Amino acid sequence: MNRFMQEFTKGLWKEIPPFRLMLGLCPVLAVTKSAESGVGMGLAVLFVLTLSNMLISLVRNFIPSKVRIACFITISATLVVAVELLMQAYTYPLYLQLGIFVPLIVVNCIILGRAEAFAAKNPVHLAIADGLGIGLGFTMSLTFLGSIREILGAGTWFGHPVMWDGFQPFTIMVEAPGAFLCLGLTLAAMNYGTHRSIMKQSRENAGNTPSACGGCRACAMGRGSDND
Amino acid sequence: MKSILQMIIVLSLLCGTAGFCLSYLKMTTASAIESQALTFVQGPAILDVFKAAENSPIADRKSFTLADGRSLNVFPCLQDGKLTGVALEQFGPGYGGDLGVIVGFRVEDDTLAGIGITTMKETAGVGTRIKEPAFLRQFPGKAVPVKLRSQGGDIDAVSGATISSNAVITAVASAVDIYTELKPLLLETWK
Repeated sequence: MNRFMQEFTKGLWKEIPPFRLMLGLCPVLAVTKSAESGVGMGLAVLFVLTLSNMLISLVRNFIPSKVRIACFITISATLVVAVELLMQAYTYPLYLQLGIFVPLIVVNCIILGRAEAFAAKNPVHLAIADGLGIGLGFTMSLTFLGSIREILGAGTWFGHPVMWDGFQPFTIMVEAPGAFLCLGLTLAAMNYGTHRSIMKQSRENAGNTPSACGGCRACAMGRGSDND
Repeated sequence: MKSILQMIIVLSLLCGTAGFCLSYLKMTTASAIESQALTFVQGPAILDVFKAAENSPIADRKSFTLADGRSLNVFPCLQDGKLTGVALEQFGPGYGGDLGVIVGFRVEDDTLAGIGITTMKETAGVGTRIKEPAFLRQFPGKAVPVKLRSQGGDIDAVSGATISSNAVITAVASAVDIYTELKPLLLETWK
């Protein structure tokens, strides 16, 4: 159970996909025009990722390693088409908004990355935890970016006006450049935070146990940028 | 040899299962998807054209086959149980691809009941202005065929968006052709 929680929570912050793993950036940039489409895309990925992790983990012992990529792609493509059909049947307006990016989940690096790096090597319950965690982290990131872009670019949040009267929306935020600005600034803020905490840690450590190399902190900083 | 056989079996099984699941899902969702698409893509435009409809033009739609083999949906508008208008969707070549237009006709005098844009990929802020009432409200009541003012008609094009405006006119013209062809059949169907 402990392991389960650990695999689940790592996707929420430590390995949050777009900001830490830098995976799945295509939908991150393209569909975060509003908070609502961010949530929709995130949930679609969450659904596909959890199920594909589960299925791949279930069949991992039967799949010959030479054709494993083909098998993973088949499984995730099937799930994506299923999601696309269900979306068309029950949430058509969302499908219209997300458009081409739903079928593109098939080639989303997160799905194949988690399949290859995690689900193919771990038992089913851990693979599900990993899928849920990473998927939820992805949904959170997309909702966060979508919210910022929608609030600044349109003055609304989930379609409700939230800014003061006479607020002039920054149209650039809902256009393509806004996506890059928003993602870049978020990454910068997160890296700054991580960098500070690592520096603080290494300063404390340096006080207690001086390292052999004189404690120049380059190692800690290097490690920091590796993680990102 | 054994490993090749294993690969073939695993892949075939996997693909077979995937294909079976998807075709089953496709069959079960087909009707839901069709009605959703009509409700959210054509629906708003149709209801806008036929504000006075006492039936549901989408639910009462019928499919007709043209002389050249194409088939299309026709949406009727009934008032007091009588057919007062029909609408159909046609496409014109816009600036960013095909542009879908719902064209509504008044059955009694063959004039336009109105038009509505369904799908378009026009330039935001320029071509998309064909969806604004200032352009669309020129159409209701016009006798067919309609033309832009530059072609000798009386429709004002959206300035800066001649291609988009032309696409609408093309779509309306092809809808007029179909309406003329189908009219006897339509009157027969909804008496």
